[in-house]
Amino acid sequence: MTKTKIPAIIILVLSLLLAIGSQTFMGACVHDDGSLGACHWAARVLSGIGGLLAMLAILALLVKKERAGLYLAMVPTALLGVFTPGTLINLCGMATMRCRALMKPAAMILLAFALAAALIGWLMSRRNHD
Amino acid sequence: MIKSGLPIRNLLRRPGRTVALVLLTAFLALSVFGGSIVVSSLRSGLDSLQARLGADIIVLPSSARSKVNFQELLLQGTAGAFYMSADALDRVREVEGVELAAPQTFLASLKADCCAVKVQVIGIDPEADFTVQPWIAQSTSRELGDMDVAVGCKVNANAGESLKLYGQHCHVVAKLAETGTGLDTAVYCNMDTMRTLLIAAEAKGVTHKISSGDGDVISAVYVKAADGYDIDGVMAKINAHVRKASAVRARSLFTGAADSLAGISRTVSILAGAVWALALVILLIAFMMMTRERRREFAVLRLLGASRKGLSSLILIETALCGLAGGVLGVGLAAMLVFPFTTLIETKLGLPYLTPGMGTILLLAIATVLATVLIGALASAFSAHRLSRTDPGTTLREGA
Repeated sequence: MTKTKIPAIIILVLSLLLAIGSQTFMGACVHDDGSLGACHWAARVLSGIGGLLAMLAILALLVKKERAGLYLAMVPTALLGVFTPGTLINLCGMATMRCRALMKPAAMILLAFALAAALIGWLMSRRNHD
Repeated sequence: MIKSGLPIRNLLRRPGRTVALVLLTAFLALSVFGGSIVVSSLRSGLDSLQARLGADIIVLPSSARSKVNFQELLLQGTAGAFYMSADALDRVREVEGVELAAPQTFLASLKADCCAVKVQVIGIDPEADFTVQPWIAQSTSRELGDMDVAVGCKVNANAGESLKLYGQHCHVVAKLAETGTGLDTAVYCNMDTMRTLLIAAEAKGVTHKISSGDGDVISAVYVKAADGYDIDGVMAKINAHVRKASAVRARSLFTGAADSLAGISRTVSILAGAVWALALVILLIAFMMMTRERRREFAVLRLLGASRKGLSSLILIETALCGLAGGVLGVGLAAMLVFPFTTLIETKLGLPYLTPGMGTILLLAIATVLATVLIGALASAFSAHRLSRTDPGTTLREGA
């Protein structure tokens, strides 16, 4: 296994955690009256971004020549995720709600690590390519 | 004489070994810094709650079943709904030794448009109040007027904004400082505003344990005993004088939280101690193995003119550098795991939780890094001492 694949494996794990986690253990809760808040849609977008990052990571594991480009594509994808909860899509008003107490910080940490791994992967792949 | 850049080159030459040592010390720093921050936050939370309550005695309706409901209301922000006649306030004021008495009425289960959850609305008498008013005064000099509210720091509304409660626009005049308790999700207003909100709720078909036609009811009376009076004595007099109500010492409400805090502190200390002891043993073994593996390298250095002291310091510097990197990494990881999840930890523990100030955090971080460097150096000192006593010629003759 080449060293340039290691960041892709890390990103795959992180993005799967994000995709599955934002629909399960760290997902938004349903209101008492059964209605869905903005948090619910933010969680869905985070799942989508997690899925997209996972697909990019799988592709980066499978191909060699385009690996650097795939890592580079992961950077804006992860950034989109960072700005999703609270900035692009509102979250619940109360700080004690699960979406603000758990989903947002957990997603931020997962995406920050994924972003760092993507940048490292891009640098490593580019050096190898040169 | 050993060149100053040699320890760093040695570490970079064997990245696997260096990463393992850094990760080990990082785990050590993570457990200590994380644990210290949690315990320190719990202590700050308890201190803040005691300061915020500001009363010596709290008089509650007998139906509040002693202090259980009230404790939950304070610590976890659960909706409190217990009431007694407002006459109890006058009766309390009649008791000798009572200097100040201020009523509060809790209106549970109000759903604000700001929030997906219900917020606890607490009605106060701004003229008599001495518990919340000093905290409101930190944000505004203005008294709570009709349809004015002061909100806890975790309610999503800022001073100057409008907060909609049952379709009624309330003007937010102050946002209170964080306490790390359920009070951070409360909304404070005067009694007239509370009555207006109750009528608005009824118009929307929402019922509460009290209705707008119930006359004057209150949930609690906060009492400050006059100087020179024994608080327990005043409490006994209130209990004898006021019917269908029971007075409790404010301090007793914290006893449960203080006990839990002591338990958590003990557990964290034991766990951190176990981690440190284990890490010390692992580091000792790791350094013994490492120096054994590198004994020919050290023998060559000795033959090239390196002194025993120089060799020992080489090992100590390498360890200190690993400890420093591990300490910084561990503190950083702990910060990433603890600070963003403050609200979650507070909710799960069900105890007052207030992150300490930046000064304390920095102090704890520096102490943790220093301790990590020190324990690494301590673990390697034994190996360094043993190595400096070995004859280089014998080592090289023995072979690998």
